[in-house]
Formats: sequence, C-alpha cells, structure tokens
Amino acid sequence: MKIGIPRALLYHYYGVFWEEFFKELGHEVIVSPHSNKEIVDTGIKSAVPEICVPIKIFLGHLKYLIYEKNVDYAFVPRMISIHKGEIFCPKFMGLPDLVKNGSPEISDRILTTYIESKTENISNYKNYISLSDKLNANEEDIKRASRKANIKWLEFRRNTLRGIPADKAAEMVKKNTVYKKNNSNNIKIAVVGYVYNVYDPFLSMDILDKLHDLNVDYMTFEMLDNKTIFSQISHLKKRLFWTFSNKLLGAGYYSLKNHNIDGLIHLTAFGCGPDSFLGKLFEIESDIRQKPFMTIRIDEHTGENHLQTRIEAFVDMLKRKKEKESA
Amino acid sequence: MKDVYIGVDVGSVSINVVAIDGSNELLYKYYSRTNGQPLEMIKHGLNSLKNEVGSDINVLGVGTTGSGRQLAGVMIGADIVKNEITAHAVATTNEHPDVHTIFEIGGQDSKIIVIKDQMVVDFAMNTVCAAGTGSFLDHQSERLKVPIEQFGDLALTSDVNVRIAGRCTVFAESDMIAKQQYGFSKPDIIMGLCRALVRNYINNLGRGKKLNPPYVFQGGVAANKGIIKAFQEEVKSAVFVPKHFNVMGAIGAAILSKEYIEKNDVKTKFRGFSSLKTNFVPSSFTCNGCSNNCEVIKVESNGQIIAMWGDRCGKWSQSVCYVG
Repeated sequence: MKIGIPRALLYHYYGVFWEEFFKELGHEVIVSPHSNKEIVDTGIKSAVPEICVPIKIFLGHLKYLIYEKNVDYAFVPRMISIHKGEIFCPKFMGLPDLVKNGSPEISDRILTTYIESKTENISNYKNYISLSDKLNANEEDIKRASRKANIKWLEFRRNTLRGIPADKAAEMVKKNTVYKKNNSNNIKIAVVGYVYNVYDPFLSMDILDKLHDLNVDYMTFEMLDNKTIFSQISHLKKRLFWTFSNKLLGAGYYSLKNHNIDGLIHLTAFGCGPDSFLGKLFEIESDIRQKPFMTIRIDEHTGENHLQTRIEAFVDMLKRKKEKESA
Repeated sequence: MKDVYIGVDVGSVSINVVAIDGSNELLYKYYSRTNGQPLEMIKHGLNSLKNEVGSDINVLGVGTTGSGRQLAGVMIGADIVKNEITAHAVATTNEHPDVHTIFEIGGQDSKIIVIKDQMVVDFAMNTVCAAGTGSFLDHQSERLKVPIEQFGDLALTSDVNVRIAGRCTVFAESDMIAKQQYGFSKPDIIMGLCRALVRNYINNLGRGKKLNPPYVFQGGVAANKGIIKAFQEEVKSAVFVPKHFNVMGAIGAAILSKEYIEKNDVKTKFRGFSSLKTNFVPSSFTCNGCSNNCEVIKVESNGQIIAMWGDRCGKWSQSVCYVG
C-alpha cells in the first residue's frame, strides 16, 4: 500500500519513527514535499479561517498526498499526550475529526490512531495496534515495526542533542548523511518555536538559514535534553498543560539564564493559544534577566522583507552590544 | 575638497538624502515624498545635494536604509545597506547620547526603540497594520479636507477632549464620522485623532516594555505638533524632537557608512554623481521554477542585469555576478 505522511505538524519531530514504522511493515511511504504556495493555498481553502496556520498547512499537505500522489491512506495521528498529566492542544487531539468533518470526502482515506504515552517516546506498540487491520499486520508485526522505528527515532534524538537542528538530524538518520555543525561565530541566539513552525521553510522563511547567513549560531529546544529543560521550570507552581509548550518554556528560560546565549527569538504562529502564555512568560523573564527577546509572529501572508528587517535589526543590536562590551 | 558621507533613506512614503561631514555634522538634507517614483526622487535628491554642497565634494562613503534600501544600494553603490532600526538608533544617540526611548513614526512603519548606554537593547516594529502610522493621518486629513501640514496647528487649538477609537483605521473612521455628527469641531476631532494614534501606537508597540525618559520622537509624523502633545500627555514627560527629525534614518545610514569605511579602511563603492545619468530599470517577474512562484525583482542598467532579489532559493539572486 501507498501510505502518505504530511510533512507538517509533528512530522518534524516524529517523522523518522513513522516513516520507518510503515516501511518495516512493507508499505511504500510517501512524504509530501516542503510547504509551497500551492500546498498552503489548498490548506487555507480547506480550513475554517480562524484556525492557526500550521493546521491549515497540514490540511494542504494531506490533500496533496491524497489527490496528487494518490496514496491509499494518509496518516493523521490523534496526539493525546507525551507526558504524564499533560496533553496536546485540542487541535492535535481532534485532528482526525477536524479532517473528517471538514473534508468528509476523504474520510475513508485517513489512517489514524490514538497516541498516548507517559514520555516523549511514543514507540509502545499499543499506540499502533489499532492500525493492524488496515495495514494487514498482526500484533507481532506491529511490535517489530515499533521496535525498529524506535531505534531510528532514538538516533534522531541523539543527533539533535548533539546540537543538530531537527531537520538535519532526521536527514542524517534517513539518508545516512553527515552534517557538520559549524559553531564558530561569536553571537548565539536561541530560536524557540514549535518544530512545525521552525522547520517549515514557508512559515519560518528559513529563519535558521537567515541567521546562519548573518554569521550567527543558533540553538533550538530539541538540542537540550529533557532533564535540563524541565529543571528550568521546576520552580513553577504549575506547569503549562501542553508538553511541547513546556519544552519551549524550559528552553527559553535556559537561554535567558545562559551566558553563552546572547538573545532569544520566539517564533509563534498568529492566534496560537498556548503561545500567548509563553510569550508573556518570556517577556517577564527576559526583563528580569536583562536579555534581548523578540517575538516573530508568522501567518499565511507574512512579508519576507519584514522578517528580514527584524532579524537583521536584532542581530545588529546584539553584535554592536558585544563589540562595545569588548572594546 | 569637502569630505562627505551620504545617507539615503528610501521609505514607503518619503525619500531622504543627507550629507554629513567627518564629525557627523549635517551639511545637507533633502526630504521628498516618493510620488510613486522612488528612483527618480533618489536621483533628484543626489543631484540637488551636489548642487547645494558644491561640486568640490569628495564622497568617502554611502549608506542606505529603509524598505527600498536594497535597490537604492545597488543604484548608488552603497558601502553599507542597513535596516531602519539600527540607522535610526545611531542617528538619535549621536544627537541625544542620553536617550532611553525613541518613538519613530513614518509613513507605513512605526517603531519603538529602547536604548541603554547608547545601545539598542530592545525594539518593536508594527506588523501588518498601519493604524498607528502616518498613512492613518494622511487618510483622515483627506476625509476632513484639512491639509496634513495644518493638522498640528489646528489640533493645538482644541479645548475639548474627544475620544476616538484608534485600534483600527476602519473603526476610527466610523467613530470620527459619528463624532462629527455629534457636532464636535474639526480641531477637537483632529486632536482626538492624534491621541488615538498615540494610544494605539503605545498599546501595540510599547506592550511589556519599560519606557523611560528621556524620550525622543522622530520620523515624518513628528512634524505634527498635535501628536507631540498627545505623546507628552501619554508619557507624562517632555518629548524631544530632533532638529532633523524627518531624515534621521538617512543620517544614521551616513554615520554607519562612515563607521564602516573608517573601521575597515576601504574605499567607497559609490558610483559617482555622473552615474546618476545611467538609467536603472527595475522590473519584476514571477519565477515558475517551483510552486512557490516567487516574485523576483530585477534591475537592469544599459541592458545589463545588475541585481536580482526576491527569490527564496537564490537561483536568481546568486546568478548575478556584476561588480560595480
């Protein structure tokens, strides 16, 4: 069977696992290309106007796979939890319903399952056992595929923890490529944002590459281990409800405290509920820590010039500050 | 021979050209509306600079800034092409070394820049909405049939506080019409608009920022005394307006070009005044190489392509190897 995986939302974090899982079961896996205007436009047309742009983009990828690539099934997981006591944003928990109700004509082409885990390792075969009929697999097959996929995913995570950004880290696992990180600049910025915003070139307008071109090193949340991240927010009376938001919060706090990081950029999609908390918390903390902080808000019609100007101005500010301090 | 550094600010509404000497003193300034033809206005500005300052000038460096900085940079041969935040901050700290907060309101852009020890430590720019900018006032001046130049003086004669919603131009307009129908005078309504603009600006850009005096207000809108008054009411403190408030970006670009030339000990890339006779033809096309359909901007001179940008992948921008 041909199984499509939209290159959107948590594909950018769990794609390595899911691709390997379906391949191991003997299926052909097709991943949609990077977001482009056509995919984004399809997504916008398929969604209610108020919803956030990453969800719109997901729908665009989904339709691309079904109509352009003629996949038998497209994978739309129902993400419930990857941390005890925490959940996902309702749009992730209701994603299959959102698709089925918004586009009933494709509802029989959706492959979905509940993903619920105590940790971010989602390799427990029980998460996928409900797929066995549609995938023509028995329990043993599902167990084996989950195990194999997990090996790849752990490799991906080891890469990110070595300071390699998620997209390159995944490529290394899939294509056996080598990526040399070149950390040689004297300015380092933490770019904190969900993987589906940061690694979608259309949404983020390649913010990481832009920083690289300006001779700036960057850090993203997946480069920090969970222990470090969560220790940053252990003093909070109450954690946020959403795991990835907590990760961003911990990574943001870490970068504001760490002397090797010169500034923090929060990349957020217009209208993101969880991020409205994050943004305020960063604002308060950056004030306490006296470290530059900037929010970059993206949506479907963000002008590239504007983004470039902001990034340039932010980097300039840090560079000039550093030059003055060392003078 | 007079040594000068030139700064050019190509904004959405105005074009500014300045010349400064080696000690950052302003020798010449040119402020003009773009009138829809930025390239012509840049040439015009540079030509009048040459005529005013004298033909015995020696251009040591050129800097460009503003939303059209790239095109201008290619056209003139700029040594440095800088974003507006940095340019404005540099110019202001040069004149007011103790400044802490800069309010800058231009035609379609507005910014707040927070300065500490003459360094930018924080800033905010308006996003897609132009409600708190000069275009907002331009638009209302048309509707009220009061020339924008008279707005400020008229506003100062107001003695009634009319509250106009400033969140969005569309709502402000309907609110303004309602207030006109209630019978408020034009000065009161204009002052109300000024307060609405300032309120909107501070709420949007100043959110979460500690704004401390001394305050400096610049950009084209700083010509409007009503807005200055509204700012002073809002921050409950004096607000300074630099002498050359409407060309601060250009001054900053000139100072930055000087810093750059001095630091790197290089010669300027300035094409010279004679090159202004050269025709620069900008055009754009849609690249169909992939489904991103980027709008690519191309600048030609004498049939030769001298610059291209706007493509996401670099296919076009990197294809140009013209050395000026």
